[in-house]
Amino acid sequence: MSRFKNTFSDGVGFDTILVMIALGYLVLFSAFPLVYNIVMSMQEVDLFSLASFDRPFVGLDNYRDVLGRPETMQIFFNTVKFVGFSVAAQLAIGFGLAMFFQLDFPGNTWLRGLFLAGWIMPAIVVGGVWSWILAGDFGVLNHILLATGLGDEKIFWLSDPEFALYSVILANIWLGVPFNMILLSVGLSGISEDVYEAAQMDGATRIQRFFTITLPLMRAQLGAVISLGVIFTLQQFDLFASLTQGGPSNASNVFQYWSWQLSFQNYEIGVGSVISVLMILFVVLVAAVYVRSTRHEHVA
Amino acid sequence: MRGNDVKRYGLLALALLFVGIYLFPLYWMYVTALKSNSEIFAIPPTFWPRDPQWIVMDVWQRMKMDVYLRNSLIIAFGVTVIVTMTGTGCAYVLARIRNRWMDAVLFTVLMMQVLPSSLMITPIFVVFNQVGLSEYPRLSVILAQAAKVLPLYIVLCRATFLQVPKELEEAARVDGNSRVGAFLTIIVPLARNGILVTSVLIFLQSFGEYVYSRSLITQRALQPATVGLQSFMGPNSSDWAGVMTYSAIYVTPILIVFVLLQRQIVSGLTSGALK
Amino acid sequence: MTYQIELENINKYYGGYHALRDISLGIEPGEFVALVGPSGCGKSTLLRTIAGLEGISGGTLRIAGETVNDRAPRERDLAMVFQSYALYPHMTVRRNLTYSMRLKRRSKADMERSVEEIARITGLESLLDRYPRELSGGQRQRVAMGRAIIREPKAFLFDEPLSNLDAALRVHMRSEVRQLHNRLNATSVYVTHDQIEAMTMADRVVVMRAGVVEQMGAPLDLYDRPCNRFVAGFIGSPAMNFVDGIIREDGVSVRLDLPGEAVLRFAGARPAGETVTVGFRPEHLSVTMAATGGNILSLPVGFVERTGSTSYVLSSTTPEILLSVPERFPKEQGSVNAQIAPELVHLFSKEDGTALL
Ligand SMILES: Nc1ncnc2c1ncn2[C@@H]1O[C@H](COP(=O)(O)OP(=O)(O)OP(=O)(O)O)[C@@H](O)[C@H]1O
Ligand SMILES: [Mg+2]
Repeated sequence: MSRFKNTFSDGVGFDTILVMIALGYLVLFSAFPLVYNIVMSMQEVDLFSLASFDRPFVGLDNYRDVLGRPETMQIFFNTVKFVGFSVAAQLAIGFGLAMFFQLDFPGNTWLRGLFLAGWIMPAIVVGGVWSWILAGDFGVLNHILLATGLGDEKIFWLSDPEFALYSVILANIWLGVPFNMILLSVGLSGISEDVYEAAQMDGATRIQRFFTITLPLMRAQLGAVISLGVIFTLQQFDLFASLTQGGPSNASNVFQYWSWQLSFQNYEIGVGSVISVLMILFVVLVAAVYVRSTRHEHVA
Repeated sequence: MRGNDVKRYGLLALALLFVGIYLFPLYWMYVTALKSNSEIFAIPPTFWPRDPQWIVMDVWQRMKMDVYLRNSLIIAFGVTVIVTMTGTGCAYVLARIRNRWMDAVLFTVLMMQVLPSSLMITPIFVVFNQVGLSEYPRLSVILAQAAKVLPLYIVLCRATFLQVPKELEEAARVDGNSRVGAFLTIIVPLARNGILVTSVLIFLQSFGEYVYSRSLITQRALQPATVGLQSFMGPNSSDWAGVMTYSAIYVTPILIVFVLLQRQIVSGLTSGALK
Repeated sequence: MTYQIELENINKYYGGYHALRDISLGIEPGEFVALVGPSGCGKSTLLRTIAGLEGISGGTLRIAGETVNDRAPRERDLAMVFQSYALYPHMTVRRNLTYSMRLKRRSKADMERSVEEIARITGLESLLDRYPRELSGGQRQRVAMGRAIIREPKAFLFDEPLSNLDAALRVHMRSEVRQLHNRLNATSVYVTHDQIEAMTMADRVVVMRAGVVEQMGAPLDLYDRPCNRFVAGFIGSPAMNFVDGIIREDGVSVRLDLPGEAVLRFAGARPAGETVTVGFRPEHLSVTMAATGGNILSLPVGFVERTGSTSYVLSSTTPEILLSVPERFPKEQGSVNAQIAPELVHLFSKEDGTALL
């Protein structure tokens, strides 16, 4: 008995318990639903069979169903566009701003910190504000575009199938820029000034220095930021809910929103699970690659 | 010397311009909140309210913000309590011990961190329904959201614990303390700031939670502010003054906390995300 | 005779890595034992096993006669001083000192009295209400010492406690720690990689390498009679010279594998024709004018380092031979004759390095 008590107050029992509490919680509320999700993706689940444990097993029918739907391809390409454009723009703008705020001027770090105000806001509110800015008739963006001559007619950002997806991307870029910028700033400030001075002595121009020093030294950081960008972009749901609801007619729909729509608006829960399973698989894959790569950095 | 100064202030001006452009949506939210209904739809739009209206009280009552915000607070508070209670110890152990097991645990935690809520909600909804948790919708949201943010908390807190030297704990143990005692009297007090900032971060994230609340809570009286806001923003809504006032009331406390803790949040975030 | 700390065939594995191999060692009450050895040899590991911070994979550890293998650190009643001092940064000096007493719920008055006494001994009276960050390195070191001695533990464990101090303070603290030890009549185990520290402070020195105890004994015994080539090279500064050689027909002298094939007599006898490693200390080579005679090495001068009191003369042979000359050696001199007494010549086996004399 005293040995037993001893291991908890002094030995590995202490560590084990602490880890088990958190791990247990995660297994219960994340891992178990995850597995359950896979099971459901092979069952027919609707409102009526929801509460029963004995649901018809349909094998891969749900998967075939999803792949056969006409909107699947459109939504797939929307998702690719959403992720691709968001991540690319966040990265480019974030990198630019990070380099800019690396310059020496009064208040640089403080001003840089202000950008995070965008990141800390609830996405649903950000969506609300942007839907007001992007409003067709009275939105301020249309007004600015018309007044400066950049556009020649009003654009119905949220209801025009041409533009709906890009509106969400725009808002998402706004949300993601600060995080990208801050992480890249950390990497940039890790590059010592000496290296740049040495390169300058060797006759490298500003642009050459960027391509021969900054970029190579930032490789690891850029990899991390891109992976995290993909992950966070695939988590984005609130903006779709508040801006376009995936519409008009799926013009701005993406998998993570569609999955929810199928489960909670169409009550085709089995089909919703299929998409959920596939997307989670993809996200976890990206994350695993990212984690593995950071591990290697540490060893090196 | 003078040329250098000119350059620095030139850069400052440019920086202010960038910040200004970036924060314009926030500005627009506050300005709209202050405008009268007719001014909102003025063409061209006014960039400074001609005739500021203070409709905070009206919106507060009309949109039942007290109910919504109370629910948001309950959810955020519940999540924070669960997460700090279950996550702090785990973060500490993960910071202290490096072996194959702990690497596996850390990997699992990192993987759990990236699961999107909108994809997890489907199975969670069904499971909660089956075990009868749907009777307690707010609790359901708290449990689900805690699982969502727990990994982030662990990762960020672990970074804090990594900065507390191992020798301090060992000294305490040689001095006659148990592991539990050393953890509570030495380690936790020293990591207090990091734990606090991370908890604030978790609180703020849960304060703005939407997916789970939208999907698990059907009764209006139990919904948080995010779901409330969404319900006022139907496609044909034109009460932009109301919605923007609501938004302003909702996010102003968040922004204040953020400005106060800006430095710590930034450093906490960056140390955790890249480890 | 009961030992204060007794290790019997202690083994320690980190996964597959065998960090401590069959270590047996008895430390008597009041003894000051120094553990030395190159970096990574397991000194800290051994100390931490004694403290209970690391588990033992095999063997028995006894403190004051009781087996403590499975006891937690707090149940062993030892005090430890860390290299980093490990002062609790969120506590004042006073609270740092009384931490262990507060854990034992000792009375206020009791604590006051102890703190006063310790503060006097360590010279911390005016610093009691400061935080560690407000102290200098030397002062922190004293607090760490104070925190250990206030406990009146069964033994003190030190892990390189002086290595964060500057050179002058280190020399000063050396004697202070030793005096403290004498005054408290305490048992101390002291880990250091600085063999001068070990030699000057300890009653007994334990030399370790790669998890094994190579030799233990009184400091001067180790210097005079190293039991193998490793200890011979490790103890003494600058390090001993080693040259290959072959025992001559007479069995009492050795021909060195150096240009000129110098011959050295040694005290003792070895079989003729045996190949050995010959060792002699730089400070035992004395410069002489005579070119011939007993036990003289004629060496071409390669390089001279002069520190003021002593000159270090390095020969241009392979292997290089170092002489330490207690005078200013002229830089331009082309060669030097050095003489050594036969009893100062060491022979080691070429296979396993054990001392042959
Ligand atoms: N927790 C651990 N896990 C695995 N190996 C370890 C661990 N701690 C120490 N070692 C290994 O055990 C060996 C002995 O380490 P130890 O710290 O005792 O060396 P040391 O003699 O104190 O060296 P130094 O003079 O550098 O402090 C080293 O090779 C080290 O790599
Ligand atoms: Mg060591």
